[in-house]
Amino acid sequence: MKYFLLNVLKTIPVLLLITLIVFVLVRVTGDPVSMMLPETATDEERESLKEALGFNEPLPVQYMKYLGDLVKGDFGESFRYDMDALDLVLERLPATFQLAIASMIVAIIISVPLGILSAVKRNSFMDLFITGGAVLGKAMPSFWLGIMLILMFAVNLQLFPVSGKGGLMHLILPAITLGTGIAAEMTRLIRSSMLEILGQDFIRTARSKGLRESIVVNKHAFRNALIPVVTIMALQTSTLIGGTLITETVFAWPGLGQLLVQAVNLRDMSVVQAATLLIAVFVILSNLIADLIYRLLDPRIKYD
Amino acid sequence: MSNPILDIKDLRVRFKTEDGFVPTVNGVTFHVNEGETLAIVGESGSGKSVTSLAVMGILPPNGEVYDGEMTFRERDLLKISKKEYRALRGNEISMIFQEPMTALNPVFTIGYQLRETLILHQQLTKEAAHKKGIEMLELVGIPDAEKVMSRFPHQLSGGMRQRVMIAMALSCNPKLLIADEPTTALDVTIQAQILTLMKNLKEKSNTSILIITHDLGVVAEVADRVIVMYAGEVVEEAPVFELFENPKHPYTHGLMASIPKIHDVVENLYSIEGTVPNPTNMPKGCKFHPRCPLADKDCMTIHPELEYINSTHAKRCIKV
Repeated sequence: MKYFLLNVLKTIPVLLLITLIVFVLVRVTGDPVSMMLPETATDEERESLKEALGFNEPLPVQYMKYLGDLVKGDFGESFRYDMDALDLVLERLPATFQLAIASMIVAIIISVPLGILSAVKRNSFMDLFITGGAVLGKAMPSFWLGIMLILMFAVNLQLFPVSGKGGLMHLILPAITLGTGIAAEMTRLIRSSMLEILGQDFIRTARSKGLRESIVVNKHAFRNALIPVVTIMALQTSTLIGGTLITETVFAWPGLGQLLVQAVNLRDMSVVQAATLLIAVFVILSNLIADLIYRLLDPRIKYD
Repeated sequence: MSNPILDIKDLRVRFKTEDGFVPTVNGVTFHVNEGETLAIVGESGSGKSVTSLAVMGILPPNGEVYDGEMTFRERDLLKISKKEYRALRGNEISMIFQEPMTALNPVFTIGYQLRETLILHQQLTKEAAHKKGIEMLELVGIPDAEKVMSRFPHQLSGGMRQRVMIAMALSCNPKLLIADEPTTALDVTIQAQILTLMKNLKEKSNTSILIITHDLGVVAEVADRVIVMYAGEVVEEAPVFELFENPKHPYTHGLMASIPKIHDVVENLYSIEGTVPNPTNMPKGCKFHPRCPLADKDCMTIHPELEYINSTHAKRCIKV
């Protein structure tokens, strides 16, 4: 427990650094008020708005003010939606979670059996087929895959809705789009992890006990092979969230990613800051959770 | 003479590699009698471990038995189905391995790994298997057996792990125990304990033991009969006393001479010159001739047969 508290404390400087980077980036990449005013606005009008919103103060002063508000739980207002930035972000969060979890499920359903199969049948035609497929899956850009899936299954076959959020049917195509890349990565990882474990002495012991090959592979080997896989899966969370940015835009999925992309385009700074900070928190959290699972899977690891 | 429990005739094993098939066991013949301990002795690469894996039916995927006969208690091991073979493994034939540090699965408890075999072969309930597991641990001299059941392998020392392996291997009262270098990875005092343990258990249960080792000290300690292997062949077979008193094959002589004597003061320890030939490039004639002090022209061309010089002692050499 102490270990985890310590780790949570360690994340504070990381989060601070992230707020600083995002804060500076959204301010140095263009005029903050350009999107708030109509194109016909005069220079005086722009100047007075900047002055009123505090953009004329030096950046360090602005940053300290932002941090001060942040500590009080005030993430600022979205001037696009005219509401609290944090509320806006939290409102979009469940949709992104839904998509992320569904994609992970798709990735697991595809990668676990294929990864094990290609390790067990290594160097066979089957193995070649699976690893080849994994390379292809990894190489396919998700926006392209998403559009192809929409074309084929939504437009031509009309099996699924084209876009938007609704029931389970709405979830399937975006989840496959996002899950494929992760599945490709995980398949290769499970394969190599399984190959290493299958050569271990304790696998020979398991066979010498007269266990069925399926138990040797799926229980004795896979339990061990999972250990490195879980680590990478946790690191994939950031890829997953990065992936939602694109996938949500392609499928008009009303999640955090879509909101963030819009906010960046509109220079809606408070929303960009709130969303990135929240994403950072999730990435850090998922790493902590991976640590926990890691300990459950591998009895040799003890944190003191 | 009692009946052989395991009868191996002209066993040939090869491995598939990028350069084609490489034979590693070339016509090995031996038998193990009921209640007997047979030792297979040889250097690394002599094919002794491969022979034992072949008997267990757990050769690596690229290895295969391509000729010969293996009979275990009147069952043809090369003809029985995979399912029948599995029913034998861990049950009537069981095996302990060289590396106790890595031979147990690191993510399962000792108890789980012990119970697994018992539930599988003896159809015990989990509770009954647990009780039997504790009994087995006590039998192999593990203190606090109850607690050890819930420990993980990394929490035990090498000697303890090897005891766990032995407990696991003996839990279904096997007729044949194959021990592949069971003491090599252990330090000397633990070695002696493990050997004594194996000897005692054998006497209690009348299990036959096939022990594979390169350590002649271990052979002298536990074996009734010995076969010496070299380059995938049996080069000598004899009862243990006869082998030590009257070794015939020059290779066996070499092995004996390689044992350091405590009273001799010598500059260099004796060793047999050269190394075991590579299976891809076996010498013609007698496979030992490039390293043999007695070799002459005939040895380079004639491949000697295993000849019995009396009813129990055989050698594969034309010079002695």
